Amino acid sequence: MYKYDEIDRRFVNERVAEFRDQTRRFLAGELTEDEFRPLRLRNGLYIQTHAPMLRVAIPYGLLNTRQLRMLAHIARRYDRGYGHFSTRQNIQYNWPKLAEVPDILAELATVEMHAIQTSGNCIRNVTSDHLAGVAADELEDPRPWCELIRQWSTLHPEFNYLPRKFKIAVTGAPNDRAATAVHDIGLQLVRGADGGLGFEVLVGGGLGRMPIIGKRIRAWLPQQELLAYLEAILRVYNRYGRRDNIHRARIKVLVKSLGMEEFTRQVEAEYAANRALAPRVGAAAIARLRASFAPHPYQQLDEPDPTAGAAASFIAWYRHNTRAHKVRGYRVVFVSLKRHGEAPGDMTAAQMDALATLADLHSFGEVRVTHDQNLVLADVAQRDLRALHAALVPLGLATPNIGTLTDMICCPGLDFCSLANAGSIGIAKQIHAQFDDLDYLYDLGEIQVKMSGCMNACGHHHVGHIGILGVDKHGEEWYQITLGGSATGEVALGEVIGPSVPKLDVAATLERIVGVYLEQRDGEAETFLQVVRRIGIAPFKERAYAADTVAA
Amino acid sequence: MRQILWQREVRADCWRYPGEAGDGPLVQTLSELLADANRPPGAGTGVWLGPIDEVALLVPQLPQLALIVVNFEASGDGRGYSQGQLLRQRLGYQRELRAAGAIRRDHLFLLARCGFDAFDFAPGEDPRAALAGLDSYSVGYQPASGTLVQPRMRTPG
Repeated sequence: MYKYDEIDRRFVNERVAEFRDQTRRFLAGELTEDEFRPLRLRNGLYIQTHAPMLRVAIPYGLLNTRQLRMLAHIARRYDRGYGHFSTRQNIQYNWPKLAEVPDILAELATVEMHAIQTSGNCIRNVTSDHLAGVAADELEDPRPWCELIRQWSTLHPEFNYLPRKFKIAVTGAPNDRAATAVHDIGLQLVRGADGGLGFEVLVGGGLGRMPIIGKRIRAWLPQQELLAYLEAILRVYNRYGRRDNIHRARIKVLVKSLGMEEFTRQVEAEYAANRALAPRVGAAAIARLRASFAPHPYQQLDEPDPTAGAAASFIAWYRHNTRAHKVRGYRVVFVSLKRHGEAPGDMTAAQMDALATLADLHSFGEVRVTHDQNLVLADVAQRDLRALHAALVPLGLATPNIGTLTDMICCPGLDFCSLANAGSIGIAKQIHAQFDDLDYLYDLGEIQVKMSGCMNACGHHHVGHIGILGVDKHGEEWYQITLGGSATGEVALGEVIGPSVPKLDVAATLERIVGVYLEQRDGEAETFLQVVRRIGIAPFKERAYAADTVAA
Repeated sequence: MRQILWQREVRADCWRYPGEAGDGPLVQTLSELLADANRPPGAGTGVWLGPIDEVALLVPQLPQLALIVVNFEASGDGRGYSQGQLLRQRLGYQRELRAAGAIRRDHLFLLARCGFDAFDFAPGEDPRAALAGLDSYSVGYQPASGTLVQPRMRTPG
């Protein structure tokens, strides 16, 4: 993975010193809360329901084990012994003390980490495919480009005070696992007519209150032009995006109000006028970045059937929690953070330390964070799988439910977040209890449940096969359900099935919905999403609200 | 008299902003400047830009301008950073470029990177103490109009 050079190191250390001084001035009363807020937000620090919340950047979701151990250390020393992995591949701590945050950032800097621009109206942490570099369908590893964007967007002098937050995602594979179409800018590596690689550029996607699928602004952008083109889009947005209404300030609103044609014209004009002044991606610079992500020294291994003679628990885990690797003899292992009784995405310091040891033993010392709030050991030799499984089970990290209905994604909700209407974590527990039979879960096949505690959509409910949104009705928690969304491949937004349901009925309503799927599917091969797309939401809607008939 | 930070020195400001009384040379609003077609050429003129003012409209007047004030109406309003970059890089403006309004020491480094060389701070900010903000960082990644740091990334030109 990328290693800091002297410039990166000096930069993060100077950032820590700057924030230490800003915190000191705030605590001494020299900065008001209003003055301090944008400064602390740009260092990942929110003031939440109980305490500050610190969001630490995990650029494009990639960690080495030294970093993972540092995250454990921070959880133990400055928090309550755990952290929460978010849907944007970051980690959040819910209980740090404001006065200690500069120390936390200084500790992070020692392992080449930071919390820069994980909040605030600026360019956020760039996200990518959690299978980057190991997926067989990839045209090119997107991570060198992600690292380039990380550096370019870090304290960009012109784009640090945008109208609103700005999210960029990159995928190197045609099967988009980074949901690029629901980002402010989505970049997909594509092959051009001359056989070379470039980018397809999407703009104006996003979830939140106004979910929109991004539109294509460029079918083809040569790779060396990437930063010049990003600067053009950002400059048009920075100058003309709305700033009078926080709910109308994302770039998607500007694209909509100008119209795609006019927006494109402005971006292209800016790009043409600024090309000579914008950063060009030099061949040597990108070659250095590519070298940082060179393939691991894989061995030539046989590929025996790992399930032969194995226990049923291993076979279930192997089938559900591992995926193909592009190198023969290796597998990608998903570490489930969706154990019954735990908040999705939560991990204790002890689990982090133990997983770091396992990653050193079995996966070249690296760990990835997924958009679905799980972790991945991406490079495990097949012959190590049984030992790894045996080690993960007692850690509570081997729940064989990846891709199933209980592999839900979920925002922190009312328990932690001051914006939330609903206790998403409680609903996750309710769903776990309702769907606790693994054989039944496996029979249901792949179903992505995504849940947000409010319309800001941190749980990405719009793109869940089943989406659940917490709404407040006269001080009570209710839940709106959408069907048919998808975050991968061809991104789609779900459709609301009808009135929201009361808190205690959520899991039972899901049970009725999946019942329709089981009746309607054309054999086990037809997934939930395929059935929703084929028959529409009407049959689901009809059954979802038919509580009495089912009970009778 | 207003104290401003200019090229790392604190100095008293002689200019009169729009609406201010006094003797100094007047800073005109953009619309005043564009309406005043009879201005004698060569006169040192100052202009005041709000966040929505188009910098490209200044092109014909640029050789006569001795001061451009970019007013930041709110500390989170980043339009002025683009105005600074455009004035310096694309339009080649070389004389005083001043950031005024809701600016504090915490904005200095980025403002200077975008080509601002003069700073009229929000009330309560001591320009002398704020000077330290210029040196918050010794490195930067992106090419920009200011020469405060040597950026890692390069332009083709």
